[in-house]
Amino acid sequence: MKKFSNLIYAVLPVLGVGALIGVWTILSLQEGTLIPTPVETWERFLVIMTDPISKATLPVHVLVSLKRVLSAFGFAIVLGIITGVLFGWYPRVKALLSPIFELLRPIPPIAWIPLLILMFGIGEVPKILLVFIGAFIPIVMNTQSGIESIDPMLIKAGQSFGCNHRQLLFHVALPASTPAILAGIKMALSSGWMCVVAAEMIAAKQGVGFLIVRGQEAGDTALIVSCMLVIGVVSFLLSAILTKLEGVLCPWQFKKTK
Amino acid sequence: MSENKVEVRNLTKKFGDLLVLNNASFSIKNGEFVCLVGPTGCGKTTFLNLLVKLLEPTSGEILIDGEPADPKKHNISFVFQEPSAFPWLTVEENIRSGLELKHMSAGVIKERTEEILNMLGLEKVRKSYPHELSASTEQRIVIGRSFALHPDLLLMDEPYAAMDIKVRYFLEDEVIRLWKATGSTVIFITHNIEEAVYLAERCLVMSPKPTTIKSEISIDLPRPRDISSPEFIRLREEITDMIKWW
Ligand SMILES: Nc1ncnc2c1ncn2[C@@H]1O[C@H](COP(=O)(O)OP(=O)(O)O)[C@@H](O)[C@H]1O
Ligand SMILES: [Mg+2]
Repeated sequence: MKKFSNLIYAVLPVLGVGALIGVWTILSLQEGTLIPTPVETWERFLVIMTDPISKATLPVHVLVSLKRVLSAFGFAIVLGIITGVLFGWYPRVKALLSPIFELLRPIPPIAWIPLLILMFGIGEVPKILLVFIGAFIPIVMNTQSGIESIDPMLIKAGQSFGCNHRQLLFHVALPASTPAILAGIKMALSSGWMCVVAAEMIAAKQGVGFLIVRGQEAGDTALIVSCMLVIGVVSFLLSAILTKLEGVLCPWQFKKTK
Repeated sequence: MSENKVEVRNLTKKFGDLLVLNNASFSIKNGEFVCLVGPTGCGKTTFLNLLVKLLEPTSGEILIDGEPADPKKHNISFVFQEPSAFPWLTVEENIRSGLELKHMSAGVIKERTEEILNMLGLEKVRKSYPHELSASTEQRIVIGRSFALHPDLLLMDEPYAAMDIKVRYFLEDEVIRLWKATGSTVIFITHNIEEAVYLAERCLVMSPKPTTIKSEISIDLPRPRDISSPEFIRLREEITDMIKWW
């Protein structure tokens, strides 16, 4: 029985993806459609793996985009955690600064693009800044809410050992909020990846976002669809890597057997 | 130095208009095992919170070793009613945590941790995390973490209230063993009268709100105590009657 159920769960996802490809194939075979067939898309993918567009093959475009995401990401993690801790742990800092944050937070990151381009041109800086904005916000919010929702018993336990406010932060509040912070980092990574694609679609000479727009300009729908799929797969891989990292950093979250 | 570990003088605590502790006075001797019994909501937890300065009294004072109580100065440790093991630390790390926060030397930390793991039979699960273990094991981790500090004063707030009888008997014997081994003064709170008579050298009986100490009863039955002995039953009923009265 157990084996049968395992088998079902191995087969169902394949069925789902198979159905998608089936529907895709049917749509792409309609008269006059622009949708490329799966086979055309796959062949286009193989071509851009080796033949450069704008002096770069697909892996290079992906690496260019990833590099932008990761350089912004380092800053977003450090500054986001610090800001989140300040908001969550020091009510006065929160009272002073969080209204500004709340005001800026709902602005979709891509709405910053025009201003960033006018201020910083079309080089690397505006793209990295955009990714930073997209990644910073979820990290701040998750860190803050993680710290604010700590079980008060754990704080009391720390206090009963004579911990001062700073010791409580480093020995109780931060470790207790690690899962929330990591969840924020995960959201930040996918948000940052979306931002970089958006920025590259508007102004770039390389990167996966640039490739999609090139496909649009050339009417090359197979190129567009293969880039879209690559964006999805990269995003999936990034989040899989972070899930692994969560297991390493918070083993206590993952060994729930009770 | 005074013979009294804890001296409570005219302690009053109000939460707004709610008078919880009303001019309570009592003292607890060095090395004594005292049980505080009283109905739910009479202010037992409030008293312990006052003792470790998680709350400030409305009036009156609490002295430890003749000085105003101060958890930074006095070696106090607290086992709370609710689970409070650090979920991100293993059993072993939890037991070490109090010692590390108090900046004990590496040698002392190692020695005490081994001693406690051994005494509580937790060696096999030392690398496990609290949520992988049962609720009663989690409470034992917290008890171990507290005893590892060799506190002069150990406060236990209904630590076994959520446990079934068999586990409770076992843990009650365990706490007596640790008390004898470390010489701590223990204040053990419970609303279970049988538990109080089983553990205490002296029982302080609290009235319902507004609370004072209504009575105190010394219990010098030999240990381990026999809960079915006539003397045990007589003491248990005596205290039960006192609580029923009000
Ligand atoms: N922080 C607080 N604010 C207001 N009322 C409180 C607070 N803490 C406890 N109380 C009240 O004080 C009374 C005593 O509570 P507590 O000390 O927890 O009782 P016990 O531990 O004896 O069951 C209860 O009526 C409770 O509602
Ligand atoms: Mg209580």
